[in-house]
Amino acid sequence: MTAFVIFAILAVLLLTGMPVSIALGLTVFSFLFAMTDIPLDSIALKLFTGIEKFEIMAIPFFILAGNFLTHGGVARRIIRFATSMIGHWYGGMGLAAVVACAMFAAISGSSPATVMAVGSILIPAMVAQGYPVKFGTGVIATSGGLGILIPPSIVMVMYAVATSGMVVTGPDGGPIMSASIGTLFMAGVIPGLMLATMLGATTTYRAWKNDYPRMPRASWRERWRAFRESVWGLMLIVIIMGGIYGGIFTPTEAAAVSAVYAFVIAVWVYKDIRLREVPKVLLTSAAMSAMLLYIITNAVMFAFILTSEQIPQAVSAWIVDMGLGKIGFLMAVNIILLVIGMVMEPSAIILIMAPILFPVAMKLGVDPVHFGIMLVVNMEVGLCTPPVGLNLYVASSLSKLGLTDVTKATWPWLLTALIFLMLVTYIPDISLFLPRLLGMM
Amino acid sequence: MVLRILDRLEEILISALMAAAVVLIFVAVVHRFSIGFAADLVGWARANDYPELQAMARSAFKWVNGFKLTWAQELCIYMFVWMAKFGAAYGVRLGIHVGVDILVERLSPATRRPITLLAFGACVLFTAIVAWIGADFVWHVKVNGQTSPDLEVQMWIVYLAVPVGSALMCFRFMQATWLYATTGFIAHHDHSRVDGLEEEAEDLARGGHA
Repeated sequence: MTAFVIFAILAVLLLTGMPVSIALGLTVFSFLFAMTDIPLDSIALKLFTGIEKFEIMAIPFFILAGNFLTHGGVARRIIRFATSMIGHWYGGMGLAAVVACAMFAAISGSSPATVMAVGSILIPAMVAQGYPVKFGTGVIATSGGLGILIPPSIVMVMYAVATSGMVVTGPDGGPIMSASIGTLFMAGVIPGLMLATMLGATTTYRAWKNDYPRMPRASWRERWRAFRESVWGLMLIVIIMGGIYGGIFTPTEAAAVSAVYAFVIAVWVYKDIRLREVPKVLLTSAAMSAMLLYIITNAVMFAFILTSEQIPQAVSAWIVDMGLGKIGFLMAVNIILLVIGMVMEPSAIILIMAPILFPVAMKLGVDPVHFGIMLVVNMEVGLCTPPVGLNLYVASSLSKLGLTDVTKATWPWLLTALIFLMLVTYIPDISLFLPRLLGMM
Repeated sequence: MVLRILDRLEEILISALMAAAVVLIFVAVVHRFSIGFAADLVGWARANDYPELQAMARSAFKWVNGFKLTWAQELCIYMFVWMAKFGAAYGVRLGIHVGVDILVERLSPATRRPITLLAFGACVLFTAIVAWIGADFVWHVKVNGQTSPDLEVQMWIVYLAVPVGSALMCFRFMQATWLYATTGFIAHHDHSRVDGLEEEAEDLARGGHA
């Protein structure tokens, strides 16, 4: 009952179009004033301490690093590298688009920016080569989402933050540790590569069936040049992953180091950004981080209310009583999140839903890392589903196609992503193989 | 005029905090590395019998180790708390705070206007409440005289970011409400903005290689 009231208030507030962060905060306040005796002070404390964790500070650093390299010039270099390597295969430019999206998204950290950057260069080029505009739009709108799965991923940091410090028990009643940022990053590598491969396979198949043009094979000299130009940007991922895995630094330190690295590369190596443009990058990154941190603060208050009203326990008891089992529960989670993903942005969904779903998943014996990766893949699909899939909007504005046409254009890849979601959901080893191999869990 | 100064101050404060935090953590990492490196060098020089090098490495180690940066993490967190609170206020001006607009976008302008005004009003109300609760809380912390563990700064100064930032945010929401009520304009931050695409597009149009 209480759970229903809380979520009803939240839903009504959200539908007025107010910021998600404020809707969360107001839900907490109206619930507090109207129906409980939780002292206001304990909530006030959360306003201050909600973001006082060093791990959370990885978010602003990653955003800054990404913003330094979210530039047309970087996109161009990566695209050239991708086309020179695989452009001569079937659906060459489409395949290159998948690869370029995966790499650019990992570096920039933003799905819509990836669709914009890769799309505005590759869609016209593909049309000029004789591809239908729908093909390019479909590939790029879906592949742009790869960024939240391939580390560094802010959504994964959000999951780690939302679940850390929760007292949860496994099926046998023993305590369960939540997933660390480093392990989640490592766990995302294989699923990320696998999804990119599957999207690529779909692209090649469609291109082969329709006999779309292929590009001339690039010489090794051209490949080497393209690689040398793009490698500076790609090194960002290597520094972060190598640094965290090698135990050289914590994820937050890795993020700060990568921000400095990205600054040096953008200003002095690539010369895409002039020194006097740096304050603007800092300002935009600060505003974006502040927005996310503001959602976190309010989500922490919201989670506090949920916990003090024992809602996760109630939901968990209810689901266990229903006899849904692990398989049914994971399916239900996927469906619920796909629906929410149609109207809300990934970070907010994770922050709101993870505290409720996580204890249930643990009770049913799901691995915390596997559960996190599953949620992230789900968010990725949400970015490409109407009516509010951000990627679709960007793709639509780029290709001058209507939203309905773009949605239709994405279906082969969207279907691929959904099949992949099922695989990740029911084969935990896809997510857990690499972190286990590296002894991280 | 006063407003323009406020705008600039806000922008300078948050970008400076962002830059300072990055530099701070970067320096802390480099510092930790140099200590480890100098220590390794001492050991290597001793093992291979280079007394001069060993002495040099030892003094370098002592010098670097003399700087204590244990407070770096704490300071970074506090800087980000300030950046987050003021950045959130700046974000209102930018229209960066995303909401669920699926319903309101489908309404007729006549029904949409009161709902949007209501939403803005709720934002003003919420930030005002937070500023109020925050101020009260900061007052209690000040009376208690609580200090931070590493830097030993007065905690009320750190926590002041919440009431001040929220009050500023409240003011920004009032401005945004006024702007909407008078002109119907709502700021929207473009999350897909990428600089430097025009140059690339021009180059491609001239026949450049994709």
